[in-house]
Amino acid sequence: MKNKSSQFLLLAFLLGPALILFTFFVVIPVFQAAFFSLFKWNGLGPIVDFRGINNFKLLFADEVFHKALTNNLIIVIVSLIIEIPLALYAALIIGRKNFKFAILFRTFFFLPYVLSEVITGLLWQFIYHPQYGLVKMFFAFFAPGVDAPTLLGNPKTVLGAIMVAIIWKYFGFHMSILIAGLQDISEEVREAAKIDGASEGQTTRRIILPLLRPTLMISIFFSIIGSFQVFDVIWAMGKGDPVNSAETMVTYMYKFGMQRFNIGYGSAVAVTIFLICLTFSVFYNRQTLKSEGMTK
Amino acid sequence: MNLRKIGFVIVLAILTLASCKNPANKPVTVNFWHIGTAATDKAYYQGVVDAYTKLHPNVTIQLTILENEAFKSKLATVMQSGTPPDVFHSWGGGMLAEYAKAGLLRDITKFTKDTDWGKSMAAGVWNVYAYDGKQYGAPFDMGAITFWYNKDILAKVGYTAFPTDFDDLVVLVGKLKAAGIVPIALGGGDKWPAMHMWTYIAERIGGKEVLQNAVQGKGNGFNDPAFIKAGDILVQLVKAGAFQDGFLGATYNDEAALVGNGKAAMELMGQWAPNVEKDSSVSKTGIGAALSAAPFPSIKDGLGKVTDVVGGGNGMAIGKNAPDAAVDFLKFLTNQENNAAYAAAAGIIPTVKGAETGIKDDNAKLVKGIVDKTEFFQLYLDQFLAPAPAGAVNDNVQAILAGTKSPTDACKAIQAAVDSNK
Amino acid sequence: MKTQSYSSQKIFARTIQYTFCFLLLLIVVTPLYIGLLGGFKTMGQLMTDPFGFPIPFNIAKYTDLLTGKQGTFWVALTNSLIVSVGTISLTIVVCVLAAFALARMKFRGRELFKSYFMLGLLFPLAVAILPLYLQIRNMHLLDSYMGVILPQCAFQIPMTILLLRGFFLGIPQDLEDACAIDGYGPMGFLMHMVIPLSTPILSTTGILVLVASWNNFFLPLLVFNDVNKFTLPMGVMAFQGQHMSDWNMILAYLTLAMVPAIILFVAGQKYIVAGLTGGAVKG
Repeated sequence: MKNKSSQFLLLAFLLGPALILFTFFVVIPVFQAAFFSLFKWNGLGPIVDFRGINNFKLLFADEVFHKALTNNLIIVIVSLIIEIPLALYAALIIGRKNFKFAILFRTFFFLPYVLSEVITGLLWQFIYHPQYGLVKMFFAFFAPGVDAPTLLGNPKTVLGAIMVAIIWKYFGFHMSILIAGLQDISEEVREAAKIDGASEGQTTRRIILPLLRPTLMISIFFSIIGSFQVFDVIWAMGKGDPVNSAETMVTYMYKFGMQRFNIGYGSAVAVTIFLICLTFSVFYNRQTLKSEGMTK
Repeated sequence: MNLRKIGFVIVLAILTLASCKNPANKPVTVNFWHIGTAATDKAYYQGVVDAYTKLHPNVTIQLTILENEAFKSKLATVMQSGTPPDVFHSWGGGMLAEYAKAGLLRDITKFTKDTDWGKSMAAGVWNVYAYDGKQYGAPFDMGAITFWYNKDILAKVGYTAFPTDFDDLVVLVGKLKAAGIVPIALGGGDKWPAMHMWTYIAERIGGKEVLQNAVQGKGNGFNDPAFIKAGDILVQLVKAGAFQDGFLGATYNDEAALVGNGKAAMELMGQWAPNVEKDSSVSKTGIGAALSAAPFPSIKDGLGKVTDVVGGGNGMAIGKNAPDAAVDFLKFLTNQENNAAYAAAAGIIPTVKGAETGIKDDNAKLVKGIVDKTEFFQLYLDQFLAPAPAGAVNDNVQAILAGTKSPTDACKAIQAAVDSNK
Repeated sequence: MKTQSYSSQKIFARTIQYTFCFLLLLIVVTPLYIGLLGGFKTMGQLMTDPFGFPIPFNIAKYTDLLTGKQGTFWVALTNSLIVSVGTISLTIVVCVLAAFALARMKFRGRELFKSYFMLGLLFPLAVAILPLYLQIRNMHLLDSYMGVILPQCAFQIPMTILLLRGFFLGIPQDLEDACAIDGYGPMGFLMHMVIPLSTPILSTTGILVLVASWNNFFLPLLVFNDVNKFTLPMGVMAFQGQHMSDWNMILAYLTLAMVPAIILFVAGQKYIVAGLTGGAVKG
């Protein structure tokens, strides 16, 4: 059969390009960014002002960062209790064999995901516009005399308003993943359950959902990681302001790091985001592996 | 006969050799970045570039035209990578100082000190593009922030002239509100429009010393009572409903649109206001002749003079690797003829002496008059200060307006940002 | 009796489900509808009547954009196409090779390599943007298409390998054995069996990479200086800054910018689900 060196060559050929590209353009820059985090550096000129973990200390003490982290957690939770169940319910309905217009629904629900965040932000800015947005029209029509809320101008409502846009954009993506997982479950399973006298609800709950679990776990993983990293939609809809009410960790990094020419500080935020995602990822994988081991 | 021929050939040869050696003909490329995305500005710059390359065929000018925000992002990264463009848009002040400190700009003092070019503009405006005694760029537009108001709307509530006293302005605001008109359009979401208001109020209360101390880090800095009182006044204005619904999320363009569509009575803005107001309106003509400019009112018992100016403008900076041709191009761009042409095309307030002839608009003439007569000129704070404290000023003024920070706390935060940036 | 009540229960349940779906559809489509129609309205009508049909039906904004009188739509579209096609091709080739190795070949450290690639899922592009820019500049790739294609591909590698590997894992061992019997080595197996079988997942990953590349704004902004290389999102941003209050123009531009992406998506959409179905989502 193949000897060791030709095996090695084959592997080098197969893995090489991906490894090189990935290492060069992703891993190395990230390590460099981590290096910057130990300095106070405005990005111009040489890197000389070593500060050790001082940037991290400042970061953890900053109440705006606390707000950003809290907002990220809120986005995670809202995604988990609204977006995923919504996607799941839709998938369970649409993923059924005889559901009419299934293709229509699947296409249109996935469509917002295809749009760029910039476009999404602009569209929703228009909808929320205090002078001629949809919201204003809605109120003018259904509740004349009541002042329409200026959702993006009010610190209390900004995050909620943006969350609507986020759910609008991403729930279709999750729904598609779940439908894919559903279609993997053969129809015979349902038939068998029906013969055994189970109602639809019981079938869904007791049989389909557990089988769908691996797919659901993946969907949830992407949702949570995405919630920690969300930037473009928030930035396009007000940059996290007014008064940082919709600030997230990445907008914070961009604003207080890049824009203020505090590259070292911004890099410290970046490293923090990475560590949070890493910790979650390790923890999550361990949990899902454990539970999957039990069902197998 | 033969001798003549030989002589002729020799002369020809010498001339040919001479022109080969002439460095002025060596091909040179100049990178020129500007933010004139509007049709008038774009056409103007292209015209200047074309005229210059006609005069200097060996120079190729590579244009990069970016919209304001995209320009800021991209310039930041490019500067951080250490390869600045040759000629690029700049607002001077603290940002320019940062670049100069990092050695990213070319010192062009020798071209401007005591030269014709240097004498063509006032020392004050040159200073905005200088740092530590050295010149790093040139302005072409320097104006003042003034109130821009709708004469017709004011007349409707009984005002034939703009208030010269701040208390009177507050009364006017009340009358406008009662008449169902938005008194002051404000782009609170963009933050910097509000910053201008706060700066002016503080200056009118505490006089020019208060601003000078704050930016130089002397005295009480930003904790001076004048700044805190200015914050209080802003809060009062918000409570009185002086600004439009949703102003905290509004952009500058929203603000301009309100004025341009005749829905708001006034805005506090720089010399580009008429242009943007027109452009942002549904009709594209704005409120036309009803638009008028007026200086920021004085405040009773305040130390600031009504002639004191908060303002700024536009200019170009020179990158550290720029060839002489780049400096020459900038000189060309800021000559009297081109400066006047820009004033005529896009309504800038020209900096070059004699270029006022290009000013067609009465309002622009008014603003130019204000700039020329002033004894005290303060570049807008978010340009004058370095980026980190500048950001802090903008953020905290917005916090004052939103009511999430008291003026006292906001000022403390600003001063802290100034201190930690030293 | 039991059958009858089950039926009517079923009908009731079905009604609820369809209603739910149609309501959801309404909510999802409304912003798109407004965006689409908005470009056809005059500013005046846009401000007073976002829902209604444009009267008059004003195609001026669209024609301005399409004829190049305003904005640089076709140039930006071409650039977006070049960059996206380049990114997709490179990504798929590179990732098929790598995923194949990670799925079908046994070697020491295989799981380690997989985890290495998966780390890429954990940070957004913004994190590494300055060092990445420096990298691109030092390789003299600024203002070139490769300067965007290479890094974009690199950032798509984790997700693409994840999906491809999952799918490849699901290919039955018998097929591989059959190939071995026929005298094909691993490469032969890859070329003659795996790739033909993988059309669904290749389409899926292709579409996901397309979406990411098509919508990427920040990286092209940094890499391209030349206006003629700007991609569509850059066009949208620049356009928006200039015409901030010309909402009908902006909406027209947004709609036009959406159209190519939507067309490509609709054409390939059946593959997304099919592709994700092939066991790719597991593992």
